[in-house]
Amino acid sequence: MNTLQKTKKPLYFGWYVCAATMFIGFVVIGVRNSFGVFVDPMSEEFAWNRTTVTIAASLGVAVNGISQPFMGQVFDRTGGRNMILITLAVLGTGTILISQANNVFFLVFIFGIVVSMAQSGPALSNAAALMSRWFRRNRGTAISINSAAISLGGLIMVPFAMYLLQATDNWRLAWVIIGTIVLCTLPMAFLFVHERPEDRGLFPDGDPDPVEVGSIPRKSLIPGPLTVESWRAAFTSAPIWQLSGSYFVCGMTTTVLSVHFIPFAMDDRGVSGTTAATIFGYMMGLNIIGVVGAGLLSDKIGGTKNLLALVYLIRGLAYILLLSIDSVLGMWVFATVAGFSWIATVPLTSSLTAEVYGTKAMGTISGISFMFHSFGGALSIFIAARLFDITGAYTIPFALVGAMLFPAAISAFSIKERKYSARYQAPVAISAAGD
Amino acid sequence: MATFFNFILAHSGDAADPELLHWIKERLDQLFGSSPWVLVIVMGAIIFAIPIFVIVVYLIQGGRRADTDRP
Repeated sequence: MNTLQKTKKPLYFGWYVCAATMFIGFVVIGVRNSFGVFVDPMSEEFAWNRTTVTIAASLGVAVNGISQPFMGQVFDRTGGRNMILITLAVLGTGTILISQANNVFFLVFIFGIVVSMAQSGPALSNAAALMSRWFRRNRGTAISINSAAISLGGLIMVPFAMYLLQATDNWRLAWVIIGTIVLCTLPMAFLFVHERPEDRGLFPDGDPDPVEVGSIPRKSLIPGPLTVESWRAAFTSAPIWQLSGSYFVCGMTTTVLSVHFIPFAMDDRGVSGTTAATIFGYMMGLNIIGVVGAGLLSDKIGGTKNLLALVYLIRGLAYILLLSIDSVLGMWVFATVAGFSWIATVPLTSSLTAEVYGTKAMGTISGISFMFHSFGGALSIFIAARLFDITGAYTIPFALVGAMLFPAAISAFSIKERKYSARYQAPVAISAAGD
Repeated sequence: MATFFNFILAHSGDAADPELLHWIKERLDQLFGSSPWVLVIVMGAIIFAIPIFVIVVYLIQGGRRADTDRP
């Protein structure tokens, strides 16, 4: 019994880092998505039209997308801990200050610039870079847990904001409470968000010191041939363009449906609003299973680029089903197939980026990849809406966007993972590696 | 221009689709009744359960970490 107790190891600290960044991501995405709930009460109080308030939201999306690579660079240069703590403090304070809005310029400045820029600090791109430092064997799983926070944040924080608004009947008080929740993430970030396992005398994944145990290093400890010190070097090679190009399509195909799925179900398929929302909610629930499953599979069986290509193919198949089965049943089938692939691309793309390019410039490289994703999303919404106006249906825009998933799958599949990924490099003896 | 801003707003609020929110609200109202304060407290408890659980596990494991660190 005593022997058993002695051999039981404590939980690796990296999992606490993972839980902390997941919770932070969950709250941060919740603040961003909750803005929509406040548009009507704020517009009513100031007699602003809806567009006036949405200027803050649209500017916020642009600022958030553009600032991610810059925040990534700060993350890479400073290690990240202080940046995450400072941006969380700014985000919490900025969210509270929204309650003091008395004119639209103040709202645009606080939400559109201050809050949106601060949201880029603890964004998923930086969380993925942090996870890549703490994990190698379990990298995909750790990133997938952080990615699942996106869905959870939307599904829990947004209704929370909605009920808070209803309960208090005071949008100013509701913003103060939400901002306070953001500030409550600070102690957790302070306790658990540490930059590297080495800072706590640990090794990635909680493995023992390979020198002490006298083993040859694991394959993943050997850097790949494309490992870079700066993000610029990464963008002179093919894999990052293949990953970012397919990520652009990922942004297009998820965002267009996030925005237009319910109108499509109601207008094109004649489904009731409640049923359409039920199908969409079911799909959002399934994506949590899909994303964690993708991360686990990537860690356990490898072949990350094959999994990534498969995810794009499955989503392409889902689009075909959506357009070819003209019934409610078809929509349920689509939701089941698409749900598993919805955000499964995030841990696969991020972990493959870290395996190919290393972790030194990962914050910036990931930030740029996420920017491609955001641009794809913004473009798809615009194209779909314009084509809907011209054709009167969503069939053509969905078919166009969905068709792009097949080149995206080919792009992912053609990445030379075995040649470039650190995971597949031939092991070298410790002495040779250390010399 | 106004239409464009509305697209962007919709993009920025993926999960805030009015139909989806209405559906979530209906389900939650069925489960917990229609008092918004009850829902605020239940959902607030869910939100704060995450960090509390993590910190409790960390503290419980403190003894185990001390044992491992002991020479």
